[in-house]
Amino acid sequence: MTEEHFVIIGNGPAGNQAAVTLREKVPEARVTMIDKESTGCYKPNLLPEYVVGKVSEDKLYISPLDFYKAKGIKLRLGQKVIDVNFKGKEITLDHKEVIRFSGLILALGGRPRIPEPLHPFEDLMFTLKTIADARRWIQELGKVESVLIIGGDLTSFAVAKALLHLGKKVSFILDEDAFWPVRYNKEIYEQAAHQLTQKGVKVLACRKLKGVLRRSEHSLQVQVDDRKIEVGMVGAFFGLVPDVKFLTRSGLQIERGVLVDEYLNTGFEGVYAAGDCAEIYHPEIRDYWVSIGYDNAVNLGRIAALNMAGGKVQADVEPESIFFVKDIRANISWWMEF
Amino acid sequence: MTVEVCGMSGDGTIAAGGLLNEALSRAGFSILAFDSYPAEIRGFGRCVTRSRVGDEEMLALSDRTHVLISLDDEQSQSRIPFLAKNSAVFFDNNPPSYIPEERSIASHVEPGTDLFGIPLADLATRAAGSARGKNLTALGGFAAVFGVPLEPFQEVIKKKFMPKGEKVAEANLKSFEAGYAYALKTFSDRLKKIFVPAKKAKGPEKVLLSGNVAISQAALDAGLELYFGYPITPATPIMEYLAKALPERGGRLVQMEDEISSIGAVLGSFFAGKRAMTATSGPGFALMTELITHGIMAEIPAVIINAQRGGPATGLPTKTEQSDLHSAVFGGPGDSPRIVIAPTNVSECYSYTLKSFQLAEKYQTPVVVLPDFFLNNRVENVPLPSASEGEKADGNIYPDKALKGKYTRFEITESGISPRSIPGMEGYNFSTTGLEHTERGIPNYSPENHMMMTEKRHRKIRSALTDLPAPVEFSSGGKLDVGVIAWGSTFGSALEAVNRAQEKGFKVGALKITSLFPYHADIIRGFMDRCEEVLIPELNFEGQLANLLGHLHRKDVLRLNRTTGIPFPVSAILEKIEEILGETKR
Repeated sequence: MTEEHFVIIGNGPAGNQAAVTLREKVPEARVTMIDKESTGCYKPNLLPEYVVGKVSEDKLYISPLDFYKAKGIKLRLGQKVIDVNFKGKEITLDHKEVIRFSGLILALGGRPRIPEPLHPFEDLMFTLKTIADARRWIQELGKVESVLIIGGDLTSFAVAKALLHLGKKVSFILDEDAFWPVRYNKEIYEQAAHQLTQKGVKVLACRKLKGVLRRSEHSLQVQVDDRKIEVGMVGAFFGLVPDVKFLTRSGLQIERGVLVDEYLNTGFEGVYAAGDCAEIYHPEIRDYWVSIGYDNAVNLGRIAALNMAGGKVQADVEPESIFFVKDIRANISWWMEF
Repeated sequence: MTVEVCGMSGDGTIAAGGLLNEALSRAGFSILAFDSYPAEIRGFGRCVTRSRVGDEEMLALSDRTHVLISLDDEQSQSRIPFLAKNSAVFFDNNPPSYIPEERSIASHVEPGTDLFGIPLADLATRAAGSARGKNLTALGGFAAVFGVPLEPFQEVIKKKFMPKGEKVAEANLKSFEAGYAYALKTFSDRLKKIFVPAKKAKGPEKVLLSGNVAISQAALDAGLELYFGYPITPATPIMEYLAKALPERGGRLVQMEDEISSIGAVLGSFFAGKRAMTATSGPGFALMTELITHGIMAEIPAVIINAQRGGPATGLPTKTEQSDLHSAVFGGPGDSPRIVIAPTNVSECYSYTLKSFQLAEKYQTPVVVLPDFFLNNRVENVPLPSASEGEKADGNIYPDKALKGKYTRFEITESGISPRSIPGMEGYNFSTTGLEHTERGIPNYSPENHMMMTEKRHRKIRSALTDLPAPVEFSSGGKLDVGVIAWGSTFGSALEAVNRAQEKGFKVGALKITSLFPYHADIIRGFMDRCEEVLIPELNFEGQLANLLGHLHRKDVLRLNRTTGIPFPVSAILEKIEEILGETKR
């Protein structure tokens, strides 16, 4: 009998939970988790506090690396998957290694989204998705006094709060398209602007952000409508896009993310998707929904693993808890308390 | 940190390791490096070079590797258990075909390992038209990631390949530079630059030398005129070096039909007043032992290098061991005392070989210099060795002019040393023989004569103690809980273990023994008397130094013996010290 080999692509909260669950449910199987990042699984929601020194790096990690070895989970960090053959059940890594699998969970997470009009200025903007990003923030914050945040996704509010704690001058341009995949409606916009202003954040009205220029080593000039604003650094927070580009020709059904049924199955036998990269079908509302946030990711990772192990668990979400704005449905597990 | 290059025989692994050592030495770092390769000539088998790099003198190899440069992933997998946490691995990320998981080095490393995939063969082919330069491409990647300047690498590549023609040198330079440029660009956000800023070594000029080259150079500086030998690992590089260098200085090197004729020719040369040497390993030394005792009986000098390897018999030709101590000290028929000295590092390979010529002449006896494979083959950057006129001088004690015509070759003296005549010295004629003989060299088997002459020969060797290097103690003095006594290459590991134990607050010390016979019993006993426990780590099973010195201690010495074929790990000695201290405290 061929040994079962479960592979998880992605070492984020969903992938990590999937690996631990699989190990518990199928003790005799090989479990391999692959991630292009070189760090162990961490809690991305703590990154803003890490940036300002409220949380130490060791507190970011969900488990020490030794934990995986002890559990018999093969952790392959800093290694990039470039192709998956779902029918042939083979994964190809960028160093031409081929891994065979009997089951696969895609927990690819997302990468920071920068709206297309801002692409020319991308190099001058800081995002905060990884520990490496956080280290760049720490380095830069030591040199500047003021920060302009543009966007308005979940992370942006936590960053603003953390920066105020650090004594930085924080200004904010709320973009109605920031909270991908959900667009702000007027009510949410006003609520968020009010809360930010009350805390000491300067909320700037902006119809169009025209450009970002470097003025000096520690100074940027941002052109907002017809005004020019001088700031130390700019943070861009427009949500995440699922990191699924390498799978576009793989035969998977991909829209905003990987389309899966209510059991998180992709349509290929033994292949599941979980976390930020999945768009999940809901039989009651007869539509797909996405999830955002740490708790949701962990929960979906667990469900994908249980189903891979032979279970029949539905990604259960109450229709009324799904956030619905402009054709997009989302379940947001943590809306920060600002 | 320790850098390893690992590949299959024929990948250019040893060449890459050598260039790495030389470049880093030029950049101002201290180096201790050692190669491990298969016994077979070429074509298969794993080659590994290990280089410990730092800004202070290195005593031993480290137990863990911090950077692995893989030229063959399947071979390099065997090195993964020796990687330190958060180590870096360089490998070819574009092999000729897709490879299954089990053959990929990336699938075997622990999480936390920094992987640097570089298309080594592709880059080398594009840069120089051949994948053969992939070893240099890998070095280029290493240099870029760790912030080592290009220049020292470029210099050593030119130096190595220019003799093969400008095109060859250029191709290798291009391969190196391709790896450097690729890594600098690809890994711009992961550059380590953990090296201390490059600096020139303090103090005297340093050169990168192997133990074998140091031995060869010492023999040349001592005025070696004749070398006779038969090739054998790990002594062959001595013969190779001298085959070129000795004739350039007017000397002669002859490859003999075997080791017996080699030692015979060495004795013949010294008998005629010419400095000569042979170098061999355990199996060859075994063949020499009868004639060595002929030198002892007939009081003829000789210098013999016994480069120890794993035994017995053909044993482990390319592995290190310290198991020829018994045969070096006692090998051969009869009561046959001789001088045996063992260096502990590359500098001592030079100084002890140099000294052995004077000792052999003064005490009219074969002198065995006893390095081990790890010493012969390792390279260190050491202060440029040189010999003073006094160190090169003739060591013979010639007879007084007043004795002309009345010369007694084997005259009984208080020191046991009889003034020596060289054949051709008019008025100082003598007979000589391998038979027991009288003071005049006439065969004689009477009980009284044999007892007298045996005692004379032993007294002579004992008197050599005044000229032999005394044991050196490394401790804060006073009473010690554990004293570690070591010889040969193991001493470096022992001293590093003791230093680490001292840093932990333990009352421990180390004693370096380089004169194995005769040995400084009083000094050694004095050290042992101050130690609660004495530990002797050795790369042999029998505990040969412990057997030799154990009787000097008031209780049993503790032994730590390994026959792994690899240098003694510092950690093994440190663990043993801690284990002993744990037991002492209980």
